[in-house]
Amino acid sequence: MASAPTAPPAARFPASPSRAPFGRFLAAAFTVVLAISLREAGVDPRLLVQSDAVGNAARFVRGMFPPALGVDFLGLLVRPVIETIQISLMGTTIAVVIGFPLGLLATASLMWRGALHERTPVARRALLGGVPYGLARALLSVFRAIPEYVWAFMFVRAVGLGPFPAVLALGVAYGGMLGKVYSEILEGVDSRPIEALRAAGASRAAIVLYGLVPSALPHLVSYTLYRWECAIRAAAILGFVGAGGIGQQLALSMRMFQFDEVLTELAVLFALVAAVDFVSGRIRGRLV
Amino acid sequence: MYALSDVRKVFGNDAPALDGVSLTVGRGEHVAFIGPSGAGKTTLFRLLNLTLRPTAGVLLIDGVDVAALDGAGLRRARRRIGTIYQQHNLVGRLRVVHNVLAGNLGRWSLSTAVASLMRPRAADAARALEQVGIPEKLWARTDELSGGQQQRVAIARVLLQDPDVILADEPVSSVDPSLALTIVTLLRDLSHQSRKTLLVNLHSVELALGYFPRIVGVREGRIAFDLAPDEVTPELLGALYAGHSDATRQLDRIHDGIGSYGTACRPLPGFSK
Repeated sequence: MASAPTAPPAARFPASPSRAPFGRFLAAAFTVVLAISLREAGVDPRLLVQSDAVGNAARFVRGMFPPALGVDFLGLLVRPVIETIQISLMGTTIAVVIGFPLGLLATASLMWRGALHERTPVARRALLGGVPYGLARALLSVFRAIPEYVWAFMFVRAVGLGPFPAVLALGVAYGGMLGKVYSEILEGVDSRPIEALRAAGASRAAIVLYGLVPSALPHLVSYTLYRWECAIRAAAILGFVGAGGIGQQLALSMRMFQFDEVLTELAVLFALVAAVDFVSGRIRGRLV
Repeated sequence: MYALSDVRKVFGNDAPALDGVSLTVGRGEHVAFIGPSGAGKTTLFRLLNLTLRPTAGVLLIDGVDVAALDGAGLRRARRRIGTIYQQHNLVGRLRVVHNVLAGNLGRWSLSTAVASLMRPRAADAARALEQVGIPEKLWARTDELSGGQQQRVAIARVLLQDPDVILADEPVSSVDPSLALTIVTLLRDLSHQSRKTLLVNLHSVELALGYFPRIVGVREGRIAFDLAPDEVTPELLGALYAGHSDATRQLDRIHDGIGSYGTACRPLPGFSK
């Protein structure tokens, strides 16, 4: 630039709103929290290089090789692998069955807020919109606040050992997560087509069917598939409470110090997760 | 059809979007609303199609005060009002056939609506698409159509709805001039055939004056004038658009007599060079 531009008079435009003090406060608070967490969480890297830690780890790793590849052992893994897939599928299905209706109820723009409800009387909006909305959100919070491991533990007490408690645990815990995310996705849908359907006299159910769901479908399916991937991993963990699947085999092998079997089981689990990643990736790719 | 008296609409703590609006529209009338952007025309249309509720004042439809309507009664009233939007407001991911048949949703039971998603009554939709000139797009995905084609789909949806009044809110602001003329004449002819009331919100003064027998000017939330097109003088238009960037553009076009819409616009008194 040859000539320096003259600065415009300051009064011509409003100054940008300054958020600097708040930003500094946040940074300071974050640093303090981090420092306290570092101490309280017992983070001490020296423990990692102590002689017996290294020895134990080495024994664990040495025990893994060669991995157990006997035909008998591999044959033993077939059923649990299939069982894990079935647990994850059924768990995710139940999660959708729980999460979708609750997710609809937890969508503010559908229940009580925004242009759809401009003309709804306040009392009706509160009673038929606000109350179910609040209940649905509370229920979803409870469902996902309790870890699936704890749910599984409770369901094992209720319905006995086996894959069914794992399915229920996944269904409830993931139902809570799906419902929350579904409601956020539905909230983000372009409101203009919805307003048009409303203005033509469509009922709320018809608006969901012709407006909300078609618009949000790729995101809804994509997130559900992602949850299914997580469910495979979770299904393995749930085996630890006796809920069947590959996880139960893994828990057994670890308890028996059969580290060669552990390696094989981890490899199988890895292959399983990779396969599900691949399948859901393909489905997602076709949707967008 | 419509009778508004002293209608006022305020959003939050802002200045009123509409203030002291009184207006009567008879059955079968064709009215064009013009005015600078931000004048409150869209808010007025959203009041007229029962999306919004006036903050104050009375809105009668066929003599019935709609403020009291609620639930099923409100849905019945909305069914009689068809709206066409600037941005089409179609569901892009649905096929054209479903967007058109969605015009039926005010009448259909939920089970019929579900059934139609699986086995649509394609013949009904095809007939409406024929009327708007794009029968071949029946099974296309809506977001793959051009802007003008989507606006035709939106018109077909309103045809299926078969309302008593059609409200078109800036229906041609996002299409090129020749297409704008086609769509405005299409709307006018279709409403004329079926004796529907037609209210159009137009960005182009030229189109409004050339094609509508009654012109309502809106400025700063108030009705500035309500006249026949040959009573609308350059002075009135100058005052209507005063201080707005598109004022000179709008007026120059009319003064020069070379409109973007060809010779179809009849020359208007007071606008000769």
